[in-house]
Amino acid sequence: MNKQIVLIRAVILIVTLGSWEIVGRTANPALYVPPSAAIPALGRLLTLHSYPDLLEHLLLTLREILVAYAMAIAAGLGAGFALGVNRLVGRAYGPILAALYAVPAVVWYPSLMLFFGLDAASKIAFGFLLGFFPITLAVLAGIRQVNPQLLVVARAFGADGVTAFRKVTLPAMLFTLVGGLRTGLALAVIGVIVGEVLGSKSGMGSLINHAYGLFRTPDYIALVVVTLILIVGSDAVAALLERRAQRWTE
Amino acid sequence: MPSPLCSSGARSDGPSDAATRACSRPPTGCGGLADPATVNETVRVRVVQLLSVAALLVAWEAVARAGWVDPLFVPAPSAVARALGRIGAAALAGLGETLLKAAIAYVLAVVIGVGGGILLGSVRPLRQAVNPFVIALYGMPKILVLPWIMLFLGFGATPAVVYATIHGVFPILVLVTGAVRDVDATLVTVARAFGARRWQLYWKVVLPAIVPTVLAGMRLGVVFCLLGVLVVEMFAGLRGMGYVLSSLANGFQAPELFAATALVSAASIVIVLSLDALNDRLSQWRGDLR
Repeated sequence: MNKQIVLIRAVILIVTLGSWEIVGRTANPALYVPPSAAIPALGRLLTLHSYPDLLEHLLLTLREILVAYAMAIAAGLGAGFALGVNRLVGRAYGPILAALYAVPAVVWYPSLMLFFGLDAASKIAFGFLLGFFPITLAVLAGIRQVNPQLLVVARAFGADGVTAFRKVTLPAMLFTLVGGLRTGLALAVIGVIVGEVLGSKSGMGSLINHAYGLFRTPDYIALVVVTLILIVGSDAVAALLERRAQRWTE
Repeated sequence: MPSPLCSSGARSDGPSDAATRACSRPPTGCGGLADPATVNETVRVRVVQLLSVAALLVAWEAVARAGWVDPLFVPAPSAVARALGRIGAAALAGLGETLLKAAIAYVLAVVIGVGGGILLGSVRPLRQAVNPFVIALYGMPKILVLPWIMLFLGFGATPAVVYATIHGVFPILVLVTGAVRDVDATLVTVARAFGARRWQLYWKVVLPAIVPTVLAGMRLGVVFCLLGVLVVEMFAGLRGMGYVLSSLANGFQAPELFAATALVSAASIVIVLSLDALNDRLSQWRGDLR
């Protein structure tokens, strides 16, 4: 049974790639890029033939993501806890945050470009903005999950504020919090890459744009594959950490 | 056991267990009708919200007038308001065009998402075979395929609609697939035992069961569709709100840019909040029905 499903999946993949290969060869190969052309392009990219400065762009994108995410964590945790400590404050600002979260975030990007220019700063700002909201909202939701009676009991047994937070609040909200942190990372990554594609001079997004603009479609496909590996890798690390944290709560 | 928020008897005219059920569905169903203390707090919340927004605007205006920030980058709210008057007509036309594309994409995304979700959810072998691909496509940042879509479809409204549909369809598809898969098997068995035909099974059992999920997906999807259209217009559009925003940014017209940004934000907030309100209405109705 299980083997059968894997087999069917493999067949679907092979049929898709195969028909793509056939269509790509008969139709315009600059548009369809058959797999037989994409793999050599990937080889040329990885051996630094098509883009010799690939590594610098990759590292720049990575650095932008890390800075944006670190800022989003700091600001998201800060804002979340600041809004979460007081019920009235949380009820007043929570809906405002949620309403802003409902705005398609890309509308802020032109303003950020105006502020921060075409360089890394505007990408970091956009990644930060995208990552900030889910983290803040997760902190708010997590605090709401904490059973207030547990806090009262902890206080009654003489726990001070810090101890009560560390022993009661944090474990109770960790599950939600870590989920928010993971979503925040995914969105920070997307923010940085969207920012780069929409307008930049360096980074993976700018390379993708460059290859697309010159109709170097096989190189474009190869760049997308490398970027995807970067994204999937970062999400895999986040998933690992998430599982760690969840095991720690149990 | 009614929740304490709803014990004021505001709904005591109905059959008691129906009222209880409607009330135990947080947070809707009992919001504004509760006791004076809650009403009082709601008023206080609104006051805090209004005061903070007003304070923010006043502080911003003061900072801008005092010349602490470069008006080239951070214009005062009053300047933004004047700019809104200047660009109003052009911006509204752009917004209308964007909303139209988003609406077409949205209809496509909902139809494909719900239809595909029902198909994948009810045909188990198909679901098992296809699911990893769906999840992979769902997780993949769509921006990476945007240049390719542009190569295929050129400029104009088509790439925007296609890209926005791709953006919007996956959350709906994934949610609906899960909901159909998780429809209570007992209900299906009972319906079958009572001789329901296939279409009756879908119409009377599956569809009512997945309505909340479909609505949740539609709530997510609308933002994604708007986002998709705006991204394409910013990337390579010649019309529409995304193009208006990026050309204002390129022209360093900060007051006009802020005004246009505020306009799109307000429009999307209104759309999402009205979907939320509709959602609340429908779930209340479902709660009363049960």
